[in-house]
This record gives sequence, C-alpha cells and structure tokens, in this order.
Amino acid sequence: MRLRRLLRTTAVRLALRYALIYAAVFAVALAMLEWRERSRVDPAVGNALARRLEALREAQKTGGQDALARRLQEIEKEADAIDRINLLLAPDDRRLAGTLSAWPTAESIPLDGIARPRLIEEELVPHELSDDDVFGPVVAWKFSDGTRVLLAHRDQSAEQLLEFIEYLRDVLGVALLLALVMSLSYSNNILRRMDQIGRTAAEIANGDLAMRVAGSGHDDEFDILAARLNTMLDRIQQLVRGMREVTDSVTHDLRSPLARLRSRLEVVLLEPRDGEEYREAIGHSVEDLEQLIRTFNALLGIAQAEAGTARQGWQRFDLDALVNDVFELFEPLAEQKGQAFEYHRAGPQWFHGSRELIAQAIGNLMDNAIKYTPPSGQILIRMQALGNRLEVAVIDSGPGIAPTDHARVFERFVRLDHSRNTAGNGLGLSLVQVVARLHGADLALRAASPGLIVTLGFPRAPDR
Amino acid sequence: MGKISALTYGRDMHILLIEDDVRAARYLAKGLTQCGHVVDLAADGDSGLELALNRRYEVIIADRLLPKRDGLAIVRMLRADGNSTPVLVLSALGEVDDRVAGLRAGGDDYLVKPYAFAELLARVDTLNRRQPLAAGESLEVGDLILDLQRQTVRRAGHPIRLQPREFRLLECLMRHAGRVVTRTMLLEQVWDFHFDPQSNVIDVQISRLRGKIDKDFDTSLLHTVRGAGYRLGAPA
Repeated sequence: MRLRRLLRTTAVRLALRYALIYAAVFAVALAMLEWRERSRVDPAVGNALARRLEALREAQKTGGQDALARRLQEIEKEADAIDRINLLLAPDDRRLAGTLSAWPTAESIPLDGIARPRLIEEELVPHELSDDDVFGPVVAWKFSDGTRVLLAHRDQSAEQLLEFIEYLRDVLGVALLLALVMSLSYSNNILRRMDQIGRTAAEIANGDLAMRVAGSGHDDEFDILAARLNTMLDRIQQLVRGMREVTDSVTHDLRSPLARLRSRLEVVLLEPRDGEEYREAIGHSVEDLEQLIRTFNALLGIAQAEAGTARQGWQRFDLDALVNDVFELFEPLAEQKGQAFEYHRAGPQWFHGSRELIAQAIGNLMDNAIKYTPPSGQILIRMQALGNRLEVAVIDSGPGIAPTDHARVFERFVRLDHSRNTAGNGLGLSLVQVVARLHGADLALRAASPGLIVTLGFPRAPDR
Repeated sequence: MGKISALTYGRDMHILLIEDDVRAARYLAKGLTQCGHVVDLAADGDSGLELALNRRYEVIIADRLLPKRDGLAIVRMLRADGNSTPVLVLSALGEVDDRVAGLRAGGDDYLVKPYAFAELLARVDTLNRRQPLAAGESLEVGDLILDLQRQTVRRAGHPIRLQPREFRLLECLMRHAGRVVTRTMLLEQVWDFHFDPQSNVIDVQISRLRGKIDKDFDTSLLHTVRGAGYRLGAPA
C-alpha cells in the first residue's frame, strides 16, 4: 500500500524516468562499442593468420596429418605468446597438436578460413598463456580428410575494453538500483511531511481551528509552506473569532433594546388611546430604533474592520492633518465642558491605511478623554514621529485607570463584553483596538499624574 | 421628534423610485407624496431604466441591489445616454468602497440603509436642480454675507470672526440655504467623514456657530429642525 503510494509520487516517477532514460542511452552506447569491438579485425592480423593457415594447408597437402601437426608445432615455437593459441583436431575429435585442450564452444567458429573476433573460454587455455577468457581474431579450417585447425591471435586491448564494458554494465545496474532506493527514501520523506500537513488539515476541517502545521526546523520548502499555512490559519482563526464576537455582541446588545421596543409598542396597542399618546409612543420607539441602529452600525463597523475587508479602501493620507480634522470636530465639545483641549502637531506625516477607520478610532479616544476628564481639566493630543513609528498620544488629566486595571481594560476591549450599555463607550474602545490591530499599530495605556495616556503607535510602512 | 414639517422641504418634485422591496417602496412613496412630491414606482431594474429614459424626473432614487439590472447599472446606462437626472443610490452595502463605487458609477449621493426618512428627504431636496444650490463668490442669507474670496463673514455690516472649520460649516449651510441639512451631510461635506461619531459633536459645533452668528442679533437664522438637522434662513 505504502509502496504503491511511494511509486506514484512525483519524486519517484521523475527520478525513475530520468534514471531509465540515462541508463538506456548509456546501454546503447556500450552495446555499440562492444559490437564494434566484436566485429572488427585488424587487417594485418587477419593477413598473418591467413598466411599461417596457408602454410598449414601446404603441409597437409604434402604430408597429411603428421606434417600438419609438425608444421603447427613449428609455427607455435616461432610465435609470441599471443599467437600461440591454436588447436588441431582429428576427424574423431582427438587432439593432434596445439595449446587448447578442446574446440571452443563459447561462440560458433565457421570453418571457412576467414578471420573473425571470437571468445575462447578460459578452461581451454593453458595457464601459462592466460588466466582468463581469451579474445581476438580466430580462423578455423576443415581439411578434406575432416581434420580441423584453429588459429587465434589474442587481442589484449580488446579484452580489456570488453571487460571494462562489462564492468560499466554492472555499474549501470547498481546506479539504477541506487536511484530507485534514493528516490523511494526521498519520496518517503516527502510523503511523511505531506501526511503531517494533511493530518493537520483534516483536524482543522473537523473543527479544531487551533491546530497548526509543525515544522521540521530545517528551514526547507516544507517549513516555508508550513509557516505560510500557519499564517493563513492565524488569520482565519482571527476572522472566525471576530465573527463569533459579533454574533455574541449582536445577541447581547441588540436583544434587550429590541425587547424593550417590542413591549412598548405592544403595550400601547393593548387598549385604544388618544392620538397624542400614540404619537408619543411612536416617537419614543423611533428614538429607540435610532439607538439600535447606531449600535448595530458600530458593531458592524468593528466586524468589518476586524475582518480586514476595508483594506481595499486604504489610501495614502497625511495622518497629522487627519488628526487635526478630528481634533477640530471635537474641540467645541471640550470647550463646552471648559476643558483645555490642545493638539501638538508634527507637520505632514504620510501614512497608508484606512482614513475613515483611523479618524473614527482617534475620535473615540478624544470622545472618551472629554467624557472622563472633569470640567476645567486638560486634554492634550500629541503626534510624534519616532523613527519608523508614528505615535498619536491622547493625554488627559482625568481620574485615569489604576495600573492594575490596565490589562483588564484591554481584555474588555477584546472581549466586547456587556459593560457597554451606552453605545460609544466600550464599543468605541473596542473599535480602537480593532483598528490598531488592522494597521499593525500598538495600543498602550499609561498612567499620567494625574490622568491617563493612551498611545497609538503606527508602524511607518507607507507602501505595505 | 417626529415633527417633520412638509413645509421645511421643497415640494412638487417628480421622483422616480426604483426599489424591489415592495413594502419599503410603498412606505417611502407615501412619505414622499405626503411631502408634496409626485412619485413613480418601479420594482425592478429594467422597468426602472425604461421609466427613467422616457420621462422627466427631478430626482431618481434607486436601490443598489435590484432584480434584472442593479442600481449602478441603471446610473451608468442613464449617463451613457446623456441623461443627467440626479440619482440618489440606496444601499444595504455601507463600506467606504461601496460608496465610492456608487458615486463613481455616476450616482450623485449615496445613502446606506437603514436611513432616517428625514435624511432621505433632505438629500432628495438637495439634489433638486430646479432650485440650484447657492453658488458664486459670496453667499447671502438675509443680512448675513459670506465672502468666499476674502474668507470673511459679516452680519448686518458687523464682521464676525470664525475659525476655518466654522467658516466651512457656515458655507455649507449657506449653500443649502432654506433647506434642511442633516448632521451626516455636514460631517460628509465639511469633514469628509462617513461614519457616525457616536457623539453629539455636530450639535455642539452648530451651537458654537450659532453663538457667533445669531446671539447678538434679533432674528435667528440658524434653525434646528427636530428629528432632521439644521436649516439656515429666515424663520419658516
């Protein structure tokens, strides 16, 4: 099962395909080389063999079998070791002369007196001449009385070459085997990593969104893929969490006012009333509805920001000018409360993001500061470019938040819990949190003496 | 609340309403008729486009998502045909991108559902070209004069000092003199913000402006229209 899967993997298929192609080309080349070596006879060698055969024929013609044997022995004596491989057989296969012990059978040798390269098995060759198979041009002749003669010229360079070709064939076989084993093991590795990712995916599909793909620590392509997948999963989990929060919030924040609205209208309908009463009830209901719609819109805005769907509407704008616009919008509100409301500008600061959402977030911070700072208190908004950070700080002289509660306040931002009966309060800060996250900004609370400092630190990556 | 006087708004406009939600369309048509307008109803994009091409209207109100042909397609067809009747696009899609797409298609204004009827009335009124908005280098309402060239404001000859943002707020109100301008319209036109600040900032802005242009004079020019917004002009 596993093996079948392995053989189907791309890695194995590719490795085997290329190994086979290379092996085939190589094998053909070897075969051609061998064929050439096995069919070619050096003309000088061929002539020498023919001459010797002619001399033997002369001897046979004049003195029969005995003269032939003698002549062969004479030739043998004169010859070098490489030319001393020969044989003379009587018609009854009795050995008359020569160094070979019997007629070679490895390859057929026509008895026509023509030199051809042939192999002679080592068992037939005397040890003093060779320890191995002998290869070289061979001529053979059958005389009229049935006596057969064989003369060979040993070609040692051809022998070596053929041996080498044989060796290369073995190497080729081993290489093929190695390619198969290696590709199988490599594919096994890939399959294992793939299975790991697949198992994680299956678990996620079963609803466990917290699962993550484990990396091997080798920083290889699988680790890169795992990291990308994990980033995607983080994002999906965040979106799902955002949606869940919205559903929870909708249930929380819209149910009670809807119930209130419904009972008001139902009670009015219980008995006939005069026009003014109806008018009043409807008027109050419209006010309730207005509040409901505001809450609904705020929740939706948070959800959309959370989902990051607004990112298409991002643009480049001057953050300093935008903060100033918001500042001018809220200024009369602070003035009405007798608060000192100031903005310390930093000159044009180009930023890429959602102008609307950032304006809304900063407006919410200003609104809170104005709300919680007592009359005749001070509120300072300050923009600072700090290296690659753009920091907007809202500093108020209000009662502040106890440092021990800072973390809890943040938790409340995220949790969107029910501590917001007045729209624009808890919801407003939730939006600030979400907008900060959307823009990769950090949101921090610090105690001032007295009061609270809220900072929004935007990363200055203008063309992200 | 609830005292939207028909007198506050312009009357006698011929309005085409293209909306597939029949009940919503009926309520809307009833409201507009009570305010003195004449309303034609179309329940889908094709019949809406046909009416729009064959009759003259002061304003067309088109829902964005319609069967057969959506609101933006209607606007594009009209503009391609050389028809420049003002179109107010109604939509359940409220993101910045959606609004931008609506205006880019040739819509003159964009209103996100659920909207207040007073908001719709005020915007339709603004779109009426039979009574064009005030334009020119200086705007006059009663004895109040705003000079755009010199960026000065005078009432009955007395100079009034305004901050730049107050100046733009007053300019917006004066351009719409005699008509209702809602809080969202002011936020959009003076600040270019399209969100709900969840706070009464505009009311406070107006009351400060009122302190500067009305406080020392016998007649008030800047009126609050309950449940709707503000109106600059002689008392109604």
